[in-house]
Amino acid sequence: MSSGLAQLSQATLDATGPFLALAVGVLVLVLVEILPALKALRSTLFLATLAAAAWAATRTLFGPEISAFDGTYVANSTTSWWALLFVSSTLIAWVFGRRYYREEARLEGEHDILLLTAASGMVLMAGSRDLLVFFVGLETLSVPLYALSAFRRSRSESVEAGLKYFVLGAFAAAVYLMGAAFVYAGTGTITLDGMLARSDLLQGPLALTGVAMLVGAIFFKISVFPFHLWVPDVYQGAPSPVTTFMATGTKAAAFAFLLPLSFALPSQSAGFIAVIALLTMAVGNLGALVQTDMKRLLAYSGVAHAGTMLLAIAGMFEDPETGATSQAILFYMAAYTFTAGGAFGLVTMLESQTGLPVTIESLRGLSSKRPGVAAALALFMLSLGGIPATGGFLGKYLIFSVAVRGDMVLPAVIGVLLSVIALGYYLRIVIAMYMQTELEGRPVPTESRPVSAAMALACAGMVIVLGVLPGWFLDNVR
Amino acid sequence: MPTNVLTLSVLVFLPLVGALLVAATPSKAVGLQRGVALLATLAVAWIGVVLCLDFDGSTAVIQHAENVPWFTLPGGVDVRYRLGMDGISVLLVGLTAILGPIVVLSTWGHIHQRVKEFMIWLLVMQTGMLGVFLSLDLILFYVFWETSLVPLYFILGIWGGERRLYATIKFFLYTFAGSVVMLIAAIWLIWTTNTTDVMRLLDVAGALPVDTQLWLFAAFALAFAIKVPVMPFHTWLPDAHTEAPTSGSVILAGVLLKMGTYGLLRFGIAMFPGAALEAAPWMMALGVLGIVYGAFLAMAQTDVKRLIACSSVSHLGYVVLGLFALTEAGLRGSLLQMVNHGLSTGLLFLLIGMIYERRHTRALDQYGGIASVMPFFALFLVFAVLSSVGLPGLNGFVGEYLILLGTWQASPWLAAIAVTGVIFGAVYLLMATRKMLFGPVVHSENRALNDLNGREIGLMLPIVALCIWIGVQPNVFLDRADGSLQDVLSRLERARAARTASVEIVPVHRLEIEPR
Repeated sequence: MSSGLAQLSQATLDATGPFLALAVGVLVLVLVEILPALKALRSTLFLATLAAAAWAATRTLFGPEISAFDGTYVANSTTSWWALLFVSSTLIAWVFGRRYYREEARLEGEHDILLLTAASGMVLMAGSRDLLVFFVGLETLSVPLYALSAFRRSRSESVEAGLKYFVLGAFAAAVYLMGAAFVYAGTGTITLDGMLARSDLLQGPLALTGVAMLVGAIFFKISVFPFHLWVPDVYQGAPSPVTTFMATGTKAAAFAFLLPLSFALPSQSAGFIAVIALLTMAVGNLGALVQTDMKRLLAYSGVAHAGTMLLAIAGMFEDPETGATSQAILFYMAAYTFTAGGAFGLVTMLESQTGLPVTIESLRGLSSKRPGVAAALALFMLSLGGIPATGGFLGKYLIFSVAVRGDMVLPAVIGVLLSVIALGYYLRIVIAMYMQTELEGRPVPTESRPVSAAMALACAGMVIVLGVLPGWFLDNVR
Repeated sequence: MPTNVLTLSVLVFLPLVGALLVAATPSKAVGLQRGVALLATLAVAWIGVVLCLDFDGSTAVIQHAENVPWFTLPGGVDVRYRLGMDGISVLLVGLTAILGPIVVLSTWGHIHQRVKEFMIWLLVMQTGMLGVFLSLDLILFYVFWETSLVPLYFILGIWGGERRLYATIKFFLYTFAGSVVMLIAAIWLIWTTNTTDVMRLLDVAGALPVDTQLWLFAAFALAFAIKVPVMPFHTWLPDAHTEAPTSGSVILAGVLLKMGTYGLLRFGIAMFPGAALEAAPWMMALGVLGIVYGAFLAMAQTDVKRLIACSSVSHLGYVVLGLFALTEAGLRGSLLQMVNHGLSTGLLFLLIGMIYERRHTRALDQYGGIASVMPFFALFLVFAVLSSVGLPGLNGFVGEYLILLGTWQASPWLAAIAVTGVIFGAVYLLMATRKMLFGPVVHSENRALNDLNGREIGLMLPIVALCIWIGVQPNVFLDRADGSLQDVLSRLERARAARTASVEIVPVHRLEIEPR
C-alpha cells in the first residue's frame, strides 16, 4: 500500500475529518493537563472537540461516498450518521459523569482524554473497510475502555470489571487477529472489497473459519450470546458514566462494522444467525427478569437489544430492499443510544447523589419526590420496551420488517414474543417508581442537578422525536 | 356548522392538550385540575357530538377525512397521518366523547390522591381511544392501539385496589402479547401490499388467497380477541375490572373493550372477508361459549364488581356472535350492542362505585334492603340492570334481538344456545339486584347510608337518556352505520362468490354449522 503525505488530499481530509477532530482534541487535552493554568478550559475544549467532530461528520452526511487510503477507509452518509451517534453517546456519558467521581475527581482530565480516545476509535471502526484498520480502531476504543472500567481504582468492583473486560477483550482481539490471518491465507486480501471480489475463495474452509472468527470477536463486543457473559459484571462494576458510554457507543461501533462485514458471510448462515439472535434475546430478557440492580438489569436488557438488531442481519440476506438493514440498525441504535443513554444517565445521577448502587427497590416512590426524573425514566423504559410514540417502537418495527421481508417470519414472531418478557421487567421499574411507596431508611435524593436534568430532557426529547417525527432521519439514512 | 375548524385532529388531540394544561397546574390545586379536565372533556364531547351529527350514514365514504404525509418506510411505502370517520367508527367515537365528562365527574367521589396525575392519564387515554377509532392508516392505528395501553396501566396500578399490581401487569402483558403478533402480521401485510392506507388495504387484502388471509386474520384476530376478551383469553378482565377504580372500570367496559370488537369488524371481517367466512363458525362458537361461560362465572360471584366484569364477558360474547354471523342483522346488532354495553355496563360500574364509596365493600352479602335507605340509588340500579338484561323499550333489547335474529339466519342452533344466555343474564343480574336492594336491612352499617347526591344523579342522566333513546328509536343510531355495513356485506358477498366459484363440490351454505 502506498502511503505518505501526498495522499492527504482534500478528499482524504474530509473523509477522516471526525477522526482527526477527535484525535487533535485528545492531544490538546493532554497538553492542557500539563499546563495547570489552562485546566479551567478543559470542559470547553472537550465540548469544542465533540462539536468539531460533529461538524466534520455533517460535511460528508449528504455527499457522495469518499474513499480514502486505497479504499481501506470510507466516509459516506451512513458512517457520518454513525459518527454523529458516537459523538452523542460520548456527550451523554460525559455530561452525566460530571459530578460522579469523588475520590478520582482530580483525575477527571484523564477520564475525559480516555473517553475521547475511545470515541476516535469508534469513528475509525465505523469507517474502516479493511480488517486491520478496523483492528486499529477496535484497540483504540478498547484499551481506553479497559482503563475507564477500572477508573475507580479504590473500589474492588471497578478494578474487577476492568480486569475482566481486559482479559476477555484481549482474548477476543486475539481471536479477531487470528481470523484476519486465516482470511488473508484463504483469499490473499484483508480489505472488504477484496474479500467480496473473491467470493469463490471466501467459501473455502480456511477463509470461512477466518470470517467466523472475525464475526465471533465482534459478537463479543456487541454482547451476543454466547459471548455476552462479561456484560452484566462489567456493566455493573464499571463506573456508571463509563457503562453509559459502553452500552451505547461500543455496541454501535461494532455494529457499524459488522454490517459491511456480514456481506462476506455465506447466505446459508442466515438461519444460524437468526437462532443466535433469538437465543441472545431469550438470555438477555430472562436474565434481566431476575435482576434487582438497575445497572445489571439494563446490562441484560442491552444483551437482548443486541439480539434484536442481530435479527435484522439474519434477515438481510433475503431482504429485497437493499440498505434497509443498515437503515434499520442505524435507527434502532440511534433510538437505543438516547433511550439507554438517558436511562443509564439517570441511574448514574441517582447513584452519585446517594453513593449507593441503584436498585429497583431504591426507586420506590421516586415519582412523588422527583416527578421529572421518574417521568423521564418511565419514558425510557417504555421506549426500551418498544411502546409506540417512542423511538424504540419504530426501531423495533424497522428491524422486524427486515426479518419479515427476509423470509424470517417465524423467528420474527418468536422475537416479538420474547420482547413481551422484556416488558415484564421494564414495567417493574415503572411500578416501583409510580405504584409503590418509598422504603423506610432509603430516602430518595431530592437535590436537583440542572445539567444532568437538561441532558435527560434532551434524551427524552430525542426519544419522542424519533418516535413521532422520524421522517427527517429516515429520509436521510440509506 | 363550523366543521372547518372542528376537525377530527382537534377531537383526537384536544384531550392531550387538556392533559398538558392539567400538568401545568400547581399540584395542590385539586379543584383547578378537576375543572380543567372537565372543561376539556366537555369540549371533546361537544365536538364529538357535532362531528357525529354532521355525518351522512347512507354512504360508506370516509368523512371528515384528513391526510397528511408522515414518513416513508424502506421500499417507498408512504406512511401517512390518515384520520377519518365512517359508519363503523361513528357511534363508538360518539360514545367515547360522551363518556369523557361523565367519567371525569365520577372521579370527584373516589379519586382523592394524586388527582393531577389521574386527570392527565384519563385525558391521554381519551386521545388514545379516539385515535384508535379514527385512524385509517395501519401504522397510525397501531401506534394509538398500543399507546392506549399505557394510561390504563397507570390508572389501574396507582389507583387500583389491593391486588392492583398483579392485575395491571397481567392486563398489560396479556394485551401486549396479542398486539405484537398483530404487528408482525401488519409488517407482512404492508410489505406485500405496499401500502398502509386502511381503505386501500381493504381492497387489496381481500383479494389475497384465502390461505394467506387466514394467517393474517388469525394474527389480527388474536390481538382483538384478547382485548374484547373472547372466551379463552378473558382471564385478565375480571382481575382488571375488580382492581380498577370506578372510573377505570367505566372506561374499560365503556370504550376500551370496544376497541377489540371494532378491530374484529374493521381489520378482521372487512379486511379479510375470505378468512372471516372460513373462521366464522369457530368465532361464533367462541362467542356462544363466552355467553354461557361468562353467565355461569357471573352467577358464582360474591363480589358484585367481579360479577359485572364476568357479565361483560357474556355480553361481549353476543357482540362477537353477531359480528361473525356475517349477516346484516347480526352486524347491525353487534355495532349497536357495542354502544349499549358501553352505556349500561358503564352505568352499572358507576353505581357500584358510588355505593362502594359509601360502604367500602363489594361483597353481595354485606348489602340487603338498600332500596329503603337509598331509593334513588335503587331506581338507577334497577334501570341499569333492566337495560343490561335487554328489557324491551330499552337499548339492550334492540341489540340483543338483532344479534339473535342475525345468528338465527346463520345458525339456528347457536342462536338457541345463545338465547339461554339472555335467561341466565336475567337470573344473575336480577338475583344480585334482589340481594342488594330488597329484603330487610340486615347490616346496621347500611342504615346510615346517604342517597345519591346531585352530581351523581346528574352525571348518570345522559346515559339513562341515551339508553331510552336507543331503545325507542334505534334507527336514529343504526342508520349512521348503514352505508359502511353495506360495504362490509358486499365485500363478504364477493368473497362468498369467489369461494363458491373455486370450490367444485356444491358447498353447504357457508354459515351453517354442520351438526357433528
